[in-house]
Amino acid sequence: MPLGLASPRPRSAPSPSLRPRLAAVGEQSALSVNMEEDAFLEEKAFQHYCAEFLKHSQQIGDGWEWKASKDSSDGYLCKTHFQAKATARSLPGASTEEGETWFPMERGWPGLWDHRLTFHCSCPPRGSEEALEVPSDDSEVPMTAAATEVVRYEYHVLYSCSHQVPVLYFRASFADGRPLALQDIWDGVHECYQARLRQGPWDTITQQEHPVLGQPFFVLHPCKTTEFMTPVLKNSQKINRNVNYIAAWLSVVGPVVGLTLPLSYAKVPSQDE
Amino acid sequence: MRQEDISEIWFEYEGTPLKWHYPIGLLFDLLASSSALPWNIIVHFKSFPEKDLLHCPSKDAIEAHFMSCVKEADALKHKSQVINEMQKKDHKQLWMGLQNDRFDQFWAINRKLMEYPAEENGFRYIPFRIYQTTTERPFIQKLFRPVAADGQLQTLGDLLREVCPSVMAPEDGERKNQVMIHGIEPMLETPLQWLSEHLSYPDNFLHISIIPQPTD
Repeated sequence: MPLGLASPRPRSAPSPSLRPRLAAVGEQSALSVNMEEDAFLEEKAFQHYCAEFLKHSQQIGDGWEWKASKDSSDGYLCKTHFQAKATARSLPGASTEEGETWFPMERGWPGLWDHRLTFHCSCPPRGSEEALEVPSDDSEVPMTAAATEVVRYEYHVLYSCSHQVPVLYFRASFADGRPLALQDIWDGVHECYQARLRQGPWDTITQQEHPVLGQPFFVLHPCKTTEFMTPVLKNSQKINRNVNYIAAWLSVVGPVVGLTLPLSYAKVPSQDE
Repeated sequence: MRQEDISEIWFEYEGTPLKWHYPIGLLFDLLASSSALPWNIIVHFKSFPEKDLLHCPSKDAIEAHFMSCVKEADALKHKSQVINEMQKKDHKQLWMGLQNDRFDQFWAINRKLMEYPAEENGFRYIPFRIYQTTTERPFIQKLFRPVAADGQLQTLGDLLREVCPSVMAPEDGERKNQVMIHGIEPMLETPLQWLSEHLSYPDNFLHISIIPQPTD
């Protein structure tokens, strides 16, 4: 089901919408026939792409599920995975203040990059050669022990009717149930994205209320989604190959927060083929 | 209390942790509208309820949340054109006007968010959220146009019938619920466009509470 696409409208010149007026909610059609506007995703199209995405996930055992909401027709994609992180801790009794240093074992995260849908990242994984800071005063040498902590990540893909794009929600907790704090999440963002994050952490990843569950989750802000998805979809239309919006979008935003997609998702059809 | 025992502050009313990111008027309407002012709440310094409440590490968190709501509202009203055309300093002015209770400073910017093109009869969609304590879902939010296909202005009643029909049932019988915004019950015949322009909260959303009719 191709989306109607056109060149992005210049932001400074508001133009009257050419799209036929819809009546009140209930008539959201998947197709956008407006040729003047950016590509955006309507809810039925979102659900359709999710269904195709899910089929592929099931085929390759990638662990995604669909959670339908009890009181309405909407729902969301959901996946849980576990990540081991090496931590270095001061043993109790050391005179330095207790500190924790995060050494994500594989900074590049296990997983593959789809080079057609994302940009290259040549950052070397931050490995264990990263030195602990050793205080110069010998009397205060910290005693450290390497330990591994398992972190449980839960990712949800919801549809935002306001922005008309998918949004990635996630939460993370240690094995004992202790949740990760926002600063931990910011610190864990891949090297490649740290510069962008530092430009505006509060515009990028923050804690928000999950719109269905009402619980605190972290969110990757959706404001720029249409901006980066439009060229991807335009290009796919140009080469006459339909792309699954969810697979394309997730392959771009997922890696920022430790979620990768195997390359085979690039072949997920956008319509029944 | 010892300093080391104190952790993040949080608030509670009758067993319910209070969401700081909701407007205080909304919280009151939803949880305590039948009680007399002042509203007595409990202040906690321990045992932060991680599963229920967002952390509020600094004022930046509040500003970020507020601005994110304003941006979402403008995405609905104007496809984000108005908010995106503003400069960072305008966004800052909106927040500072709210933070420092400066009506003119706030409205100098907010009035632009309340305009719409001359050829239209209103916003593209109305930013609203409907809250009920009886549901698991924290609120209902859907796309809803202020003007129908035939050019008629949609009313508050039209909105409820469409997105929350149980509230309006039975149509001709006695209503079991009150529909409250800012502590008052607007007439259901009020045009939604008018409510959005005049009764929105500072974040540009209409926060609507559905509460049981008081029994007295």
